[in-house]
Amino acid sequence: MKNIFVLAGSVILLGLFLSSTYTLPEHQQAILVELGKVRGVPVTDAGLHMKVPIIQDVRYFEKRILQWDGERVEIPTLDKKFIWVDTSARWRIKDALVFYRSLRDVNNAMMRMGTILDGSVKDTVSRYRLLETVRNTNDIFKDIEQNKKEAELLLKVDPSDTTLEEISSDVDKIETGREKLSQLIAEQAQKDLKSFGIEIVDVQIRSVAYKEVVEDKVYNRMISERMKIADKVRSSGQGERAKILGQLDLALKKVESEAYRKSQEIRGKAESQAIDIFAQALQSDTEFYSFMKTLDTYKSTLGKKTSMILSTDNAFLDLLNKGP
Amino acid sequence: MSEPTGKSFEQIMQDLNKMVGNLGKKSSGDKPSSSDPESNNRLQLVLLVLCVGVYAGISSFYKVEPSQQGVITRFGAYSGIAEEGPHLMLPFGIDQVYKIEVTRIHELQFGFRAESTLGEDRARQESLMLTGDLNVAKVEWILQYKIHDARKFLFHALNVEKNIRDSSIAVMRRVVGDKLVSDVLTAARVSIAQRAMALTQETIDHYDMGILITKVALQNVTPPEKVQPAFNEINIAKQEKEQLINQALGHYNKIMPEAQGKADRVLSEAEAYAVDVVNRSKGDAEKFRQMLVAYHKSPALTRKRMYLETMGEVMGRMEHFTIVDAKMKGILPVWGGGQDTTAAKAALMEKEGEDKSASSATISSPK
Repeated sequence: MKNIFVLAGSVILLGLFLSSTYTLPEHQQAILVELGKVRGVPVTDAGLHMKVPIIQDVRYFEKRILQWDGERVEIPTLDKKFIWVDTSARWRIKDALVFYRSLRDVNNAMMRMGTILDGSVKDTVSRYRLLETVRNTNDIFKDIEQNKKEAELLLKVDPSDTTLEEISSDVDKIETGREKLSQLIAEQAQKDLKSFGIEIVDVQIRSVAYKEVVEDKVYNRMISERMKIADKVRSSGQGERAKILGQLDLALKKVESEAYRKSQEIRGKAESQAIDIFAQALQSDTEFYSFMKTLDTYKSTLGKKTSMILSTDNAFLDLLNKGP
Repeated sequence: MSEPTGKSFEQIMQDLNKMVGNLGKKSSGDKPSSSDPESNNRLQLVLLVLCVGVYAGISSFYKVEPSQQGVITRFGAYSGIAEEGPHLMLPFGIDQVYKIEVTRIHELQFGFRAESTLGEDRARQESLMLTGDLNVAKVEWILQYKIHDARKFLFHALNVEKNIRDSSIAVMRRVVGDKLVSDVLTAARVSIAQRAMALTQETIDHYDMGILITKVALQNVTPPEKVQPAFNEINIAKQEKEQLINQALGHYNKIMPEAQGKADRVLSEAEAYAVDVVNRSKGDAEKFRQMLVAYHKSPALTRKRMYLETMGEVMGRMEHFTIVDAKMKGILPVWGGGQDTTAAKAALMEKEGEDKSASSATISSPK
């Protein structure tokens, strides 16, 4: 009997001890609820804590950063372009008491955040042009400049190069930018969520995408741009070809005419040399030369078919006439 | 986290009590005469303490692997980090150890999944992004990270991986959104990855989750499927251009050497001609000089001889010639007239004027 009393006593004592303490893990915060009513301030430092046994109850809440995963929403931008915007947010329970009173738990909070953040995203994005949600800085103009310079350099090396692909769609200066937009969204949502004990850590625009109808238009534009470039490349190829063939023509003429010029020069020189040589030799007796040359000419010109009428007083026929 | 251990602690106590109780009953059943409640109680107590002690001993020992860090909490509160090796801790859930893999590199994939856990549509949504010139590019990339602070990793954010994902997706679009589509698809790959890595790290540092991003690398960067053929068209056009140029160059390279060869031949011919002309003239001149020397020895005789020899040769090969007596007048027989060469005619006329004796005869020269 004594044993049973000891055992029962120790169990009760242990139970009382356990119910008068609680441990708070590092990643959580807690509030004490006394008979359904919230007591004191939230406990945020982890460790072993005391409470009034039985009548006080502990409610645990996350102390860590939580993630809100948004659905993508359809929004028209200021310049009337229909886009899908997908956002996510990080938040934490800043004031567990207020949080517990207004929302009770995280699931409920997520739903409430959904409506507030979606509204905030729609409000903000629709007040700006599409460019402002896509781009963050005006750095793109540096790239455009850079590309132009490079293309010009390439053009100097090879004028037929078509690397210069012009920027078709309007690239305008932006004033706000993507980062600033997500901050604005966060700020607006924060105002509404403060009364729920929620602190927004940040909002991130995960993605901006064209609606299907717009998407097709953009694709068609991209396709026609590419086709234009392809045509340009092709015609530049034709141009190159014509240029090379032209060069060939020029080179051919040059080589041929030069060869002709040189050969005539060589021939001329040789002729003049020959004339000089002859003249030198002939100067010693021009009369004999003309005699001899005349005879040579007879030999070469008077042929088999030549007919001749000779008078008998010809020197050649002298003897024929006179007799011996 | 401490609740389950608390319960188990109670359960264990109860279990032990039952066991000890049963033992007591058994022993008292076996030997009822010698049963002594005092010693029975003592035995129960000893056994109880022994069991609890053994349990405590076993549960206060733990080991941390080389790839891990142990985060120790006491009553839920952080109390320290245990590096690799065997360690002791307080039992009964007072101390708890979370073992975190700190050397492992985790990889996240964006726009595609190696093991297709995500729908194709979702992956497509993830990879399609708007560029700064409002075009669309399809970008797939990976991100690698490791946990460099296990305490922060455990206690600063829930869904650490989701936060990294969100940040990387947002940052990649931010970076690509500031670029031209042509740059995204070609030159800017490396710089985009580097910039995305730096900005993602910066973003997640705000959450202080103890994460270090070790790598961001772009995988496939392509135009959207529908636009792809148009992009290929440019490549085809470029190839066609190359082909045209190569053909023209080939033609050029085929024709030019030929022309050069021809030109060289023309020159060689001219040179050959020159050598020929000069040598011939030299030869002729020399021949003339030699003849002149001989001629001067007896000019009249030589002239006569040369004349007669020449006439002999010329007349000898003629098929017809006509001899007219110088005294004959008014006759001019026509024999193939007009074919006479001027030189011969001249010679004829000269003689005609002097003498007018005429006699005609026709001689057929023997063949």
